[in-house]
Amino acid sequence: MAATERPQGRSMGDRLYDAIFGNRLWRSIFRSGYPNTPRNQMLAVATNVFLHLHPTRIHRTHVKITHTFCLGGLSFFLFLGLTISGVLLMFYYVPSVDRAYTDILALETDVRFGQLMRNMHRWMAHGMVLTVLMHMMRVFYTGAYKPPREFNWVVGVVLLVLTLLLSFTGYLLPWDQLALWAITVGTNMVGSAPLLGEPNRFILVGGFQVGQAALTRFYALHVIGLPLLAAVFMMVHFWRIRRDGGLARPL
Amino acid sequence: MAAAPQTQAQPASAAVKARQRRAREEELLVWPDLVFIEFICAVLFTILIVGLAVMVDSILLDRANPAVTPNPSKAPWYFLNLQELLLHMHPALAGVVVPTVALIALGAIPYWDNTPEGQGEWLSTPRAWLNLRVGAAVGAIGTTLLIFYDESKHIQLFEMIAGKDSWPEQLNFMRGLRGIQNEINWPAWTLDVPLGNVLRLDLLGLPKIELDWNIPGFIVEQFIPVNTMVGLPILLSLVAHKLKIAQTKRDHMVLQFSGFIAVYVTLTIVGTYFRGEGLALVPYTIFADPSH
Ligand code: HEM
Repeated sequence: MAATERPQGRSMGDRLYDAIFGNRLWRSIFRSGYPNTPRNQMLAVATNVFLHLHPTRIHRTHVKITHTFCLGGLSFFLFLGLTISGVLLMFYYVPSVDRAYTDILALETDVRFGQLMRNMHRWMAHGMVLTVLMHMMRVFYTGAYKPPREFNWVVGVVLLVLTLLLSFTGYLLPWDQLALWAITVGTNMVGSAPLLGEPNRFILVGGFQVGQAALTRFYALHVIGLPLLAAVFMMVHFWRIRRDGGLARPL
Repeated sequence: MAAAPQTQAQPASAAVKARQRRAREEELLVWPDLVFIEFICAVLFTILIVGLAVMVDSILLDRANPAVTPNPSKAPWYFLNLQELLLHMHPALAGVVVPTVALIALGAIPYWDNTPEGQGEWLSTPRAWLNLRVGAAVGAIGTTLLIFYDESKHIQLFEMIAGKDSWPEQLNFMRGLRGIQNEINWPAWTLDVPLGNVLRLDLLGLPKIELDWNIPGFIVEQFIPVNTMVGLPILLSLVAHKLKIAQTKRDHMVLQFSGFIAVYVTLTIVGTYFRGEGLALVPYTIFADPSH
């Protein structure tokens, strides 16, 4: 791509290049030219709100796959995938004890790609718990929690809890035997705390038994409450990585 | 990126400038070097997930029925470690106190180990690998042995060697943790020590609670488990210190963290694959286990 050193007499390729990347529509969306020069490459990162999560330059050891194994990035990627597939599932699912189970059955049999959508959502959910746990181990064993990154580690622990809660609240929604009893066992653990346990369990479940009230609460938490919270903490997490001077490096 | 804000505060001596220049040379452009890797990662993972979703269907059992309790009833897999703990101690301890304390301790790691030692590289301190291996081995083996003890596996082993019913009756209290409660003739008063209204909840406007203290129950369900969970890690660190396996804060941290992860993984595996009907310890239940 020799766009910077144009030979005399513009070739077809150059004219096409200018037509695509030089027209007013393209330039109105991406202010910098096509990222094929160092300057444009840095501008591409710095002027794009999504890529701006990154710095424009990065230490060469951090680009090695074996430094992070992409685990934090994969956790985020799975979170995004779960959001998309989750919205699609919401089209077909009503959180009522009368309908929830039949909705899932219908999703699996009547809806085109419904089973695939459900499978992807479920596998990504399990996957995210795993990648977050492994990301935590990666951060620990690379000693990346040390000052000035203490607080970001704490933000990470909050994200771990939110990830587990997201998965746990989603577990109830299919309203099958597995869902009902897993949540019953799980919420009973909360109820076993001295003094405040039982009141807390009651608030969480919305009654003495896992029923419609619990389904409503778990659904609201699962589709909006916890994802919003997690998104906020991820914002802080990513912001802090930049503020703490990028990924940790040996001193 | 990283070096700039940190070095700005210092006087720009020649050495600092040289270091900055060297740091620059060590840097790559995010576009294309990092963005490319992220893109490949995302594509590979998309393929992996779609492939998995095409091949393996999610589980859907019968419609939820509060009248029919499946046996065993299990929590989602990532909570099975807690459910496993629940079998060996007071429910409040396993279900609430342990996870709360564990999360707080996890969050406190960087405030305790705040030395720059071993930062930014995989296990870069001299004894890091050693401590990882020792911690993980002790955690996994120790947890397994404790579970075996509480499930009276040592009795089975003994009787396999020494013959059926050969375990001496005087040692029945060593059949497992519960043995201490059930196989010892506790005087009647220890089972029911009236503590009365010691919590004074009435002062907070809450209902009064009259407490009765069951001493053997307390020993078995709370005293021994708490001391095990706190004492064994401390003992591990002390021994590792004596043997010069762990010398610095980072060494101890790697040791403890690896131990914790190993305990967590062991409990999860036992809870997931080795607990059958009535949550009894069974050989292997991967095919019977519906907790996907
Ligand atoms: C939803 C969960 C999480 C997401 C999406 C996430 C995302 C990320 C990403 C993308 C990075 C950049 C480097 C990398 O990919 O490894 C990162 C770094 C980091 N994460 Fe997380 N993370 C999550 C959970 C956690 C947890 C559970 C912890 C620790 C308890 C943690 C602590 C950290 C720290 C300290 C860094 C800086 C690492 C360094 O400087 O090398 N994060 N995180």
